[in-house]
Amino acid sequence: MLNEDRIILMTHMASYEENEGRKNVAIGSYFRGDYIGLQLLKSVINFTVAFVLVVTLVIFYDFGTFMQDIYKTDLMELGKMLIKTYLASMVVYITISYLVYFYKYNQAKISLKNYYNRLKQLSYLYEEESRK
Amino acid sequence: MTNLLVLKERLKNFYGRNEIYITPALKFILAFISLLLINSKLGYMSRLNHLAIVMIISLMCSFLPINIIIVIAAVFSLMHLYALSLESAAVVLVIFLVLFVLYFRFSPKDTVVVLLTPVLFMLNIPYVIPITMGLIGTPASIVSVSSGVAIYYIFDHITTGVATLNASESGDAVAKFRFVIDGILDNKTMIVTIAAFAVTLVLVYFIRRMSVDYSWTLAIVAGGMVNVVILLIGDLVFDTNSSVLAAIFGTVVSIGLVMVLQFFVFNVDYSRTERVQFEDDEYYYYVKAVPKIALSTPEKRVKKINPQRTESNGAQRTGTNTSQRTGTNTSQRTGTNTSQRTGTNTSQSAGSMRTTSNITRREDILSKK
Repeated sequence: MLNEDRIILMTHMASYEENEGRKNVAIGSYFRGDYIGLQLLKSVINFTVAFVLVVTLVIFYDFGTFMQDIYKTDLMELGKMLIKTYLASMVVYITISYLVYFYKYNQAKISLKNYYNRLKQLSYLYEEESRK
Repeated sequence: MTNLLVLKERLKNFYGRNEIYITPALKFILAFISLLLINSKLGYMSRLNHLAIVMIISLMCSFLPINIIIVIAAVFSLMHLYALSLESAAVVLVIFLVLFVLYFRFSPKDTVVVLLTPVLFMLNIPYVIPITMGLIGTPASIVSVSSGVAIYYIFDHITTGVATLNASESGDAVAKFRFVIDGILDNKTMIVTIAAFAVTLVLVYFIRRMSVDYSWTLAIVAGGMVNVVILLIGDLVFDTNSSVLAAIFGTVVSIGLVMVLQFFVFNVDYSRTERVQFEDDEYYYYVKAVPKIALSTPEKRVKKINPQRTESNGAQRTGTNTSQRTGTNTSQRTGTNTSQRTGTNTSQSAGSMRTTSNITRREDILSKK
């Protein structure tokens, strides 16, 4: 039989699942460490892509001088300098990423807690109906 | 004021019932204006400069997620720049990619600001953006606002330097690269504007969060004033040659616009009609949930009272015989004994009546005992 309370509850839950809940449910399926680890891995890849793009732009900007001095420059020194810059800026970016995803995970968990409470309420309503 | 509140309620109701049509229409307008402005500002690729193409793409955008509009606008501008010179397109592409890869994965909702900032710059009211983002965003929105400002000034630099880019057409790609990148790095107006917008955004954000009356209005006005002052100081110190009058006029208009937005858009729960589908073991449910109307628009009712009775019964009570009361705070009250109450007040009085009857019942029981 149709139960009005149950339909209202299910409508709220379905609306949550379709909107803001969609991402939260996906986040909630991970353990905190796994989720943050995966996001940090993505951050490393993204940062590397961005770094390569910026370095390419810098080289093109000074392409003439770069090609002229390429035999004079100490390539090992240049490489070391690049790696140092890459690592230093990567540490900053990864720290920001960690803080952002830590916060996002906690927010998602808080939001999901409410959702799970509704699930419990729903199962209670079903149990009550089956008893009748 | 009451009329405005009523209008707000009507808008809310209208949106709640017709959200399914309003959201695509708004997306269409945003895409259409953005693409038209991009065409008018850049417009180097003649194939894209047709109203029909803009119309078709905008119609497509109206049914796609809002972030797709940003991607399409970016592709549009890149194609125009490519038609002008490959180098400028390459520089702008790298900037777009770095922004998307590094920042927008953190806050995809802010992406629309990058599109709106250049659009509002072209409409000469860019000051709406830092104030608005201070009101509804966080200080992290500085990144997206600054990116929007930078993109506008890059386009501006490229359009003013078309002659240079065309002159070195002989193949000196490095010179073109240098021209575009130098234009970005040495653009003092851009740096001053980014600084002014960043300070404004942070100031608006902190004032808005203060626990004082009218904090939102204070934040809007203070933000607008600080924005103008920083732009003026920047003009004096760095000699940016920006028009002071335009800045003041633009800020005043922007403050007005943000005030309107604050009243009609922010702080208003535009809950929409939800259409959801789900199932359990017994049924498939196709539910349409329409939001309830929280406040009623005033119903004008006039109650006439016999003047003779008023004179005889309530000689000491004077005042108008008719009054209206609505659920809103701004409703007018007149000193009268015949005021009508609607909405929640009725339920409160009903509640108090119920309590009184309960007390009498208890007293009866006690007396019986």
